[in-house]
Amino acid sequence: MSSLRERLEATGATVVEDGSGADSLSLAGLRVTPPSIAALGRAVAVVRAHRLPLRVRGGGDAPVPAPPGGALIDLSPLDRISTVDGKTGIARVEAGCSVAALEAAARRAGSTLGPLLPTVRAGSVGAWLAGPTRGERGVPGSRRETAALSVAAVLSDGRIAESRAAPRSAAGPDLDHLSLGGSGRLSVVAAAWIRLFPASPALVSSWRCGSVTAAVAAVERLCLDRTAPARARIQGQAGGARLALAWEGLETAPIERDRGARTLQALGCAPDPDAATNQWVREPLPGQPVEVDARWTALRECAATSLQLVGLHAGGSFATLALPQAESADACAAQARSVGARVLAPRRLRDAGPSWESMGAGAAWARLIEALGVSE
Amino acid sequence: MRLPQPTAKGRALARELSRTARVSCDPDDLWAASRDCWPRALLWTKAGVAPYPPDVVAWPASAGEVEAIVALAAARQIPVVPIGGGSGVCGGAVPVQGGIALDLKRLSGAPRIDLGTRTVDVEAGLPGLRLEELLQAQGATLGHFPERRASTVGGWIATRSAGQCSSRYGKIEDMLLSLEAVDGTGAPLRTIDGPSAGPDLNQLFAGSEGTLGVITAARLRIWPKPTAQWLRAVRFPSMQQGLRALRAILKAGLRPSIARLLDPLTTLLEGRSVPVPAPLRWVVEAGQQEALRMALKAPLLLNRLVDALPASCLLLLGFESDSLAGQDDECGEEGDHALGLCQAAQGEDCGPAPGERGLRDRYGAADQKAKLFAAGAFADTLEVATTWDRVGSLERAVRHAVQGHAFVTALYAHPQLEGCAIEFGLVGLAGMTAAAAATASEDDNELDLEAAEARYDACTRAALSAVADEGATLSHHHGVGLARQQFLPRELGEGMQQLRALKRAFDPHGILNPGKLLP
Repeated sequence: MSSLRERLEATGATVVEDGSGADSLSLAGLRVTPPSIAALGRAVAVVRAHRLPLRVRGGGDAPVPAPPGGALIDLSPLDRISTVDGKTGIARVEAGCSVAALEAAARRAGSTLGPLLPTVRAGSVGAWLAGPTRGERGVPGSRRETAALSVAAVLSDGRIAESRAAPRSAAGPDLDHLSLGGSGRLSVVAAAWIRLFPASPALVSSWRCGSVTAAVAAVERLCLDRTAPARARIQGQAGGARLALAWEGLETAPIERDRGARTLQALGCAPDPDAATNQWVREPLPGQPVEVDARWTALRECAATSLQLVGLHAGGSFATLALPQAESADACAAQARSVGARVLAPRRLRDAGPSWESMGAGAAWARLIEALGVSE
Repeated sequence: MRLPQPTAKGRALARELSRTARVSCDPDDLWAASRDCWPRALLWTKAGVAPYPPDVVAWPASAGEVEAIVALAAARQIPVVPIGGGSGVCGGAVPVQGGIALDLKRLSGAPRIDLGTRTVDVEAGLPGLRLEELLQAQGATLGHFPERRASTVGGWIATRSAGQCSSRYGKIEDMLLSLEAVDGTGAPLRTIDGPSAGPDLNQLFAGSEGTLGVITAARLRIWPKPTAQWLRAVRFPSMQQGLRALRAILKAGLRPSIARLLDPLTTLLEGRSVPVPAPLRWVVEAGQQEALRMALKAPLLLNRLVDALPASCLLLLGFESDSLAGQDDECGEEGDHALGLCQAAQGEDCGPAPGERGLRDRYGAADQKAKLFAAGAFADTLEVATTWDRVGSLERAVRHAVQGHAFVTALYAHPQLEGCAIEFGLVGLAGMTAAAAATASEDDNELDLEAAEARYDACTRAALSAVADEGATLSHHHGVGLARQQFLPRELGEGMQQLRALKRAFDPHGILNPGKLLP
């Protein structure tokens, strides 16, 4: 371990022992903090060459210890925002930068990242992109796409692969997707070009529906009709449910809100004007909510009484769910799982989700790990 | 026409495969499967040669048959080249190492359309045009209208295709919810429509051009068929003002179904009010073959003539209504907002006629290219993309690079919030007319082909080199194939390492479409 430590220090990274292991028999790991992307590349190459377990901490958002006998790469010093080009709608940012800091910089340039799950907003850009949401968010037209226009990823030998920052490309498979959602297993996200939306004030509307299920079905209908709101909140109440919706397009918000109103009225929902809706639709859910990625069927069937939806698309949504009263997050997660939702947060409850193996690509995954020179 | 002759190896392979699927070694079938619509392949056709025939053509009728064929090929190290409609324009389906041409057109059973969840399950060999007809009959649309009529669903996914309405509906990779494929060992895989863990397999298979697996089926997002359409052409004093308006429309959150900004020459042709100088008319109309060939001998002069044209440009804009809430004029509302933004950038409303003509001639470009080839020219479309801050310099760089090789037009299309594609039309002198080639000797044809390929290669190399220098992506929706492969390492850099790893993972025997993406 000491020679490994010396090699890691020679990369320019700070190295300290971390996480003494679950029991006295397990080895302590090393926390490696590279000061630059170049040093990150060198440090990853050393860890991979030793075929040691590697974990990545995006910037303090995921307080995981170093894996026993392995290395935890801490990206927190890589927090530079090189460019925020509000006119073009793109930002260049290092992986350790917090999503909140990027959002603040984007706002100053008249742009925004759009509504995101609370834990995404609280974390780093690297954790957002490499994490279970793959950096995805809702985009106009009831679609969901990753916010990463281009990813700079550290490969096992320390070299950096960076895709071209183009709105779309057909130059082979989208290799960014080896990093997005990969939790650092195949490559480590070092930096990215992020897509921004033009910032515009939200237009909200408030409704009463017959039940929470009916409210979810109404929001689903809006998404299937290509008028997905930027965010929605549903609260079960005596005799029905309260539904609040927010649209954010500069010119389109009023158009879509009016279209949405016609749809909702046709579905039997009733307008329920409330001056506090603008605030309420964004307020964190009370209690111990969980965050999920779910299809509409799951959201309709789960027994949550409070839902906050972002990243809405025609097939489903990211959602924060809460059960009635003071039920625990564990109970809420169990409820979500029972209807097929994938639990994303809190981290201790996160579902692994369907893997390549369950899709018939387990052997390909094993060969990919080998070919990329990484270890599970 | 020198048809490829069956080889002993091909006959033996055909006998073995015939136990599994329909196969053929007939010269006509080998010839048909030896090429796609890559301009270089069209030059081969004119010269009557097929330099890269497969050994055998197979037409599997089920995913099971695909699995059996690929498993056999893997065991014997025989190349397998998937073919859809054969309408690719980059040579992606040319079997450069022979082997089995796997024609997937029989994988075209009736699609399962689910209007409730707005999805369609479709086999890979179904022609896209047929799929759209079936969807429209049920009041739905995919919203995917690529230029090539013969293209299939599998081909769309394998090349990350885009249709003319991509600003509203997205490209095919945006519509793709899940897929079924057979990897290079013959094993089937099926991705999940819904939350999944790890890297997104759909996005790794999209654009893989048959090198990672044979796509056999897919689930795609569908939408209600539009009930009303709003079309306008807006004239701007300059391309810069047109671009400013286009960006303002997207920033406002509006999602046009059609948004195409034409360069000054194309604008003149669309407008039909100002006479176009004769040499330019010869090129765009391809009517007078000798005059056209004469003009193409001086591409620099032709391009200079364009520079002297009025600088005004036309933006074709379209919006659509789904009208689910019973409001047929929804698209008019969005269109009027867009028109207001255009007027703020000095745009002048020219009415719907040019846009209506564009829709009517949606599939006309391919026919036009055929005429140019018959006249002894080559015609290619190079669709590249970059962010808004770089589109101007990209256009200038490509024009400058190819001005001595070919006549150039440019069209800004497929706009997104952060950038757009530029479709460069390249028309250059190739060689003999098709009529002359038909009566020329084999030797003359061979010499003519050699010269034509050299001219075409020089032109595309110059263009792609400029694209790479500008940091743009070398393909927006046609794929890489053979046409652009040389420049892929410049685009991907260290990403080539990742691409090689993916290849080893999904095609460990290296039999799937060898020679593509990875040299």
